[in-house]
Amino acid sequence: MHLLLLGVSHKTAPVDLRERLDFSSRDLGAAVEALATRPSTAESVVLSTCNRSEIYVASSDPFQARDDVTAFLSEYHSLEPGTFMPHVFAHSDEAAARHLFRVAAGLDSLVVGEPQILGQVKEAFQTASDRRCTGPILSKLFHWAFGVGKRVRTETALGEGAVSISFAAVALARKIFGRLEGRRVVIIGAGEISTLTAEHLRTHGVGEMLITSRTAASAEALAAAVGGVTVSWDEAMGALGHADIVVTATGSQRPILTLPQVEAATGRRRSDPLFIIDMAVPRDVDPAVGDLEQVFLYNIDDLQTTVQENLSRRAAEIQHAETIVSEELVKFASWQRSRGAVPTVVALRQRFDAIRRSELQRLDSKLAGLSPEARARVDEITRLIIEKLLLDPTEQLKALPDEETQVAYTEAVNRLFRLRANESTSEMPDSSTPTRPPDRRRS
Amino acid sequence: MNLIPLILYAAAGVVYAIHFARRQPAIGRAATTLLLFAVLSHTFVIGMQTMEVGHVPFANLSRLVSSFVWLLALSYMYLELTTDERAMGVFILPILVGLQMIPAINPGVERADPVLDSPWFWVHIASLLFAYASFALAAMLGLTYMLQFKEIKKKQLGYFYTRLPSLHILDAMNSRAVLLGWVFLTIGVVVGVVWTAQARALSPGNINLQEMSLDDPKIFIAVLSWAVYSFEMFARRTLGWAGRRSAWLSALGFVIILLNFLPVNYFVTTSHTFQ
Repeated sequence: MHLLLLGVSHKTAPVDLRERLDFSSRDLGAAVEALATRPSTAESVVLSTCNRSEIYVASSDPFQARDDVTAFLSEYHSLEPGTFMPHVFAHSDEAAARHLFRVAAGLDSLVVGEPQILGQVKEAFQTASDRRCTGPILSKLFHWAFGVGKRVRTETALGEGAVSISFAAVALARKIFGRLEGRRVVIIGAGEISTLTAEHLRTHGVGEMLITSRTAASAEALAAAVGGVTVSWDEAMGALGHADIVVTATGSQRPILTLPQVEAATGRRRSDPLFIIDMAVPRDVDPAVGDLEQVFLYNIDDLQTTVQENLSRRAAEIQHAETIVSEELVKFASWQRSRGAVPTVVALRQRFDAIRRSELQRLDSKLAGLSPEARARVDEITRLIIEKLLLDPTEQLKALPDEETQVAYTEAVNRLFRLRANESTSEMPDSSTPTRPPDRRRS
Repeated sequence: MNLIPLILYAAAGVVYAIHFARRQPAIGRAATTLLLFAVLSHTFVIGMQTMEVGHVPFANLSRLVSSFVWLLALSYMYLELTTDERAMGVFILPILVGLQMIPAINPGVERADPVLDSPWFWVHIASLLFAYASFALAAMLGLTYMLQFKEIKKKQLGYFYTRLPSLHILDAMNSRAVLLGWVFLTIGVVVGVVWTAQARALSPGNINLQEMSLDDPKIFIAVLSWAVYSFEMFARRTLGWAGRRSAWLSALGFVIILLNFLPVNYFVTTSHTFQ
């Protein structure tokens, strides 16, 4: 079995081509099923996000599979192969696994380390697996990739630090307030940036959200979108006294929150913090407000600075993440090699069991005098003996260090026990066309 | 004997520092494991000393410090396991190592005055040690609060910002530690007063007991620290002095406690030197 990967990504294809090769807007499950009907694709997964469309296939005939996947892409999207093939990258076996590991780790993303991609990889696998398009190879590969993604996330700072303004604002709020559940928010001005921030705050479970805006319609729209309440300007000022987070993003030319205003509103409040996020240019909040002891005032430049710092910190973590990918790749490759021994192991097992059965059959008349319990015991004991005899050879075969040794060993076992590996593997769901040792030499 | 726990505390401290810098979970677990071994070996040392003299080694200052370190380590481990936050370890371990040097260098001999042979004495010492351990944690939480506060306020989100828990959590943990410490400090002081009255009646000739009054620096400073922590709690609830002010008061309170625990005990007090 070989791995094959064909795909386009933001690194190889312009956006209009990616759009035309996109699967996510259409039924992804149907696409995987359509792909899986081709004879050469024993297992398949389609990963499609706005930055990439990738097809992972496990096949015993990678050359045929490559043609099949190309034909599939062409037919499914009604495109001439000539239009997309120059932008398609293709990897096989270890290179394909490395690519998936890097994707899952966020190393191949447009914004390095972004966290959504791991979820998208999981979803792609789940969709394929639900339609029974996956098997042991891709299943192992993808679960391994999930592990790589998780390792990179926990062991490196690659995904750390917000890399967009609104995320940076929410991350700061969480550093001040811990969990945001039940925190009270006042939003002044209902433009695009305050909408984004309000949405992030909502997903973190903030409580009451009061929204005021000069244009009532946009305030209403935002309130409806994030489950807030529209209030008048005066009501919003009155609410400052017990608010935790204030977001301002108006088009006003003068500061709308001055020091006396904020002082008056927060004068009697207890000393728990007030986080004011000023996203407007020119600024909505008098910078002097930030001197109040309990006020944390951040404007859009401050947030932009933290975003830049986070981006450069991520860049410094890339090497660390690449090392993890390489480490895992070595382990995965050794697992894949161990699979080369599987047909021989299965054949050996079946051979031994066949001998056991025929011997028991031969002795049937002699055993006739035994009680049913005793006969069951004999059956059990003979089975256990075989298990024990085969335990070490099985493990040794699977743990051979490289492909050449493995071919030599499996061939020796095949000869010694007169096995024909391919005749006895019909029960193996993943090896309907097993890799015969001579073939492996060629690859 | 106190040397082995000291070495283990120091090793744990180094690993906590590495974990703080690199933030790798595996290193964090190693740090906790090392600390656990340090506490176990320390438990063994204190257990041996208890068997040797027949009671918990509280009467000699050096051994008292050792018991305090042990209690502080236990309290910190409790905090770490319940909050799953390891960032504070790098601040607590230096205190453990620094204080544990005293018993490691000079183990001291437990020569208890017969007047101390009272169950009141053990309650008095144990509650005060526990109170001090809580206050030490509160002071560390206050210190980390101030570091975190400063970075966010100055908009320099750097080293501590990425490593420390949120201000809210630090403040809440600080409040809890102060409350717990205050309760035990109160118990310790009240028990001390009651027991002194009793002991005076039993052994009228004891010089130490005659010195027990607010004029004695040790007792005065103990009451002062009680006042500081009482004010901290009062101010938090009625004046809204949470956060930074509370953090400052916790640090101040612990400085007073530490002064009282070591220099005052060694050089100034006359009432609390039973040897």
